[in-house]
Amino acid sequence: MKKDKNKKSPSYAKWGYIFVASFFIVYLIFTFIPQVLTIYDSFFDYSDIVGTLENIVYFCGFKNYKMLFSVNMRGEIELLRCLGNTIVIWVIGAIPQMLFGLLLALIFTSTKLRLKGQGFFKTVFYMPNLIMAAAFASLILALFGTIGPFHTLFVENGWIAQTFDFISDKTWARILIAFMNFLMWFGNTTILLMAGIQGIDDSVFESAKIDGASSSHVLWDITLPLLKPISVYVLVTSMIGGLQMFDVAQVLTGKAKNNSTRTIVMLINDYLVNGNYGHAGAVSVILFIITAVLSIFVFKSINRKGDEK
Amino acid sequence: MSKLFKRFMAVALVVVLAFVFVGCGNGKKADLNDGGSVFHIYAWNTEFQGFFNKYVSDEKKNDPSIETYHLDGIPVKWTITTSDNGAYQNALDMALRENGTANEENKVDMFLAEADYILKYVNTSLTKDIETIGVDDFSQAYQYTVDIATDRANVIKAASFQCCPAGMVYRRSIAQEVLGKSEPAEVQPLVDSWAKFEAVAAQMKAKGYYMTGSYADTYRVFSNNADKAWVDENKNVQIPTPVNTWMTQAEKFVKEGYTKTEGVWDGGKTIEFAEGGKVFCTFGPAWYYNFCMGPAMGTGDNHEGGTYGDWALVAGPQAYFWGGTWLLCPSAGSNDSLVSKTMNAFLTDEEVIEKLVKDDSQFSNNKKVNAKVAADYEAEGKGNGLLKGQNDTKVWVDMADNIQVKYSTIYDQQCNEGLQTAFVKFLKNDEEINTKAKALADFFADLQKAFPNLVVPK
Repeated sequence: MKKDKNKKSPSYAKWGYIFVASFFIVYLIFTFIPQVLTIYDSFFDYSDIVGTLENIVYFCGFKNYKMLFSVNMRGEIELLRCLGNTIVIWVIGAIPQMLFGLLLALIFTSTKLRLKGQGFFKTVFYMPNLIMAAAFASLILALFGTIGPFHTLFVENGWIAQTFDFISDKTWARILIAFMNFLMWFGNTTILLMAGIQGIDDSVFESAKIDGASSSHVLWDITLPLLKPISVYVLVTSMIGGLQMFDVAQVLTGKAKNNSTRTIVMLINDYLVNGNYGHAGAVSVILFIITAVLSIFVFKSINRKGDEK
Repeated sequence: MSKLFKRFMAVALVVVLAFVFVGCGNGKKADLNDGGSVFHIYAWNTEFQGFFNKYVSDEKKNDPSIETYHLDGIPVKWTITTSDNGAYQNALDMALRENGTANEENKVDMFLAEADYILKYVNTSLTKDIETIGVDDFSQAYQYTVDIATDRANVIKAASFQCCPAGMVYRRSIAQEVLGKSEPAEVQPLVDSWAKFEAVAAQMKAKGYYMTGSYADTYRVFSNNADKAWVDENKNVQIPTPVNTWMTQAEKFVKEGYTKTEGVWDGGKTIEFAEGGKVFCTFGPAWYYNFCMGPAMGTGDNHEGGTYGDWALVAGPQAYFWGGTWLLCPSAGSNDSLVSKTMNAFLTDEEVIEKLVKDDSQFSNNKKVNAKVAADYEAEGKGNGLLKGQNDTKVWVDMADNIQVKYSTIYDQQCNEGLQTAFVKFLKNDEEINTKAKALADFFADLQKAFPNLVVPK
């Protein structure tokens, strides 16, 4: 009797759990535990032991957080300065990235143009993203360094002084980092937006055509409004990625210690290099909170799309 | 009978113990952790590994086909971690903290450290007094190599196999053109003080040359001759007077166009060492001009495009040292006798040390051997090809005794590098860091970020 029952409804659920478990185990070990430890560490004072081999730390409450908001010798609150740097560099790179991505997406999905070789172009646009960011930054560093070809070109044309250094200059360094981020990510944005446009019901475009709507009307009144949810998603994920900007900026300007390109993750790195897990933890927690708020915003925006349908 | 035997044994024991204690010498009790099955060494590159294989290991040669070397029959294991981004120190710190509880095979038995951060490993109970493991003859070692390895309680914690006196190397052809003299003996009197050095710089500028290729070329000459520590006992940061002097000099040199705004390691500096280069001189120890002046060497056996043979070495305005590698023994190692044997080989074994100097172009940490080799070279007329056959070992012998390291702290690396990084922003007319005061504030801000407990001048 019992046997029969089992045969009738064999439980495959446990296999499901086993397959899912691998993710949770990896998540637990490599993400969750480090996250909890980061928060834990942020309440401990490492100041006495940085640069030594001692291993004794003590609980210090919110001291690390307070210190992060104190004014340093440069007369600034470094955390806010780094946050500002990160946002400025992100904006310089992300706005052209969104606009360019949108333009390309519109061109490739245009029923009027019917471009051939879309797969080829998509691959090429995505290519820069496949290069290791650090390698890309090293290349730019070599091109714009003080013995790089651009420096020579600019000096010979009298545009800059011999002593000028692109890497330590506020504006140039920021533009170079933003440019690299732009180049690496516009392909990704294009592909996402194309998918968004292609996801819009063709019948909407057709009826607009029949009603005699001009191309610009279609763009402004149909494509863009219906593209809003995916645009918000692209924008916010780009913002979260932007907040975590590190590799490109570190490789390009880390050595010069350019204060105007120090991103918030570079600040964390500055603390970690000396084994100051307290301060590094506190900055990480603040970054986590900002990212969490943005993520909630993404979730909300995606769910709203579902509601409308 | 048995009572007599017991008495005899008691006396014998006392005699034996007495010998043991006397044998230790120096009044320090021997304290050896031995019996490890693997001799485990931590380092950041394979430079010392080569010397070890050749001169200390049982195999006594550096042969890539040998997989495992041995010392006294015990296999030697190397853990090499590159020093990029502090990776070596991070790995080493973790290993040292856990050394007491690590299983015997993973225990660190010996490790290497550089001058810039050695104090961190000297001032900790995790490393051992090397006199207790039988490394106690420093009579031929240069005093500074012992001073830097001595902890707050006057205990010697490390031994170096090299000595790194540094001087000024200059281009003979440029000296001939601008100063009308090219031989070291003639040029040294023209640059033996900073005032004279500056006067020569002005002459170089007038003829279209740079005195140095980097604003920071002279930095170590000043900073390694400091008159006080970077940080005092109360954690107050203070700028040593010579570093202040350097700042004044660097500012003037950049303003007058005597030097370039390149860092010491930047390509913009070293490119000037090649044929047609406009830089008159640079500063550094033997390892610098032998291994770090690539463009001067040119390419191929004929040194095409280089300036090989056009250089000469002089003491310059001030004797100083730069760099060097020390060997240390962790408290919880498991092969102290082997550590002792290794250290002593490079401190006192004259046969080994002579080979190190002659075959590996090192300047050893043994005064007697260095002097002997210098005299041998003088007699044979042998010298360094880059320096047009000049006997540089002799120059170093004359200089090395004057090196002093009185004030070092665990903060030195960050202080020295941080100050230069901040100051060059000012030298390059940074938008924000555009005065000397702001450069110092920038330096202090970053230093306090690194070490929150330091008190910086307001």
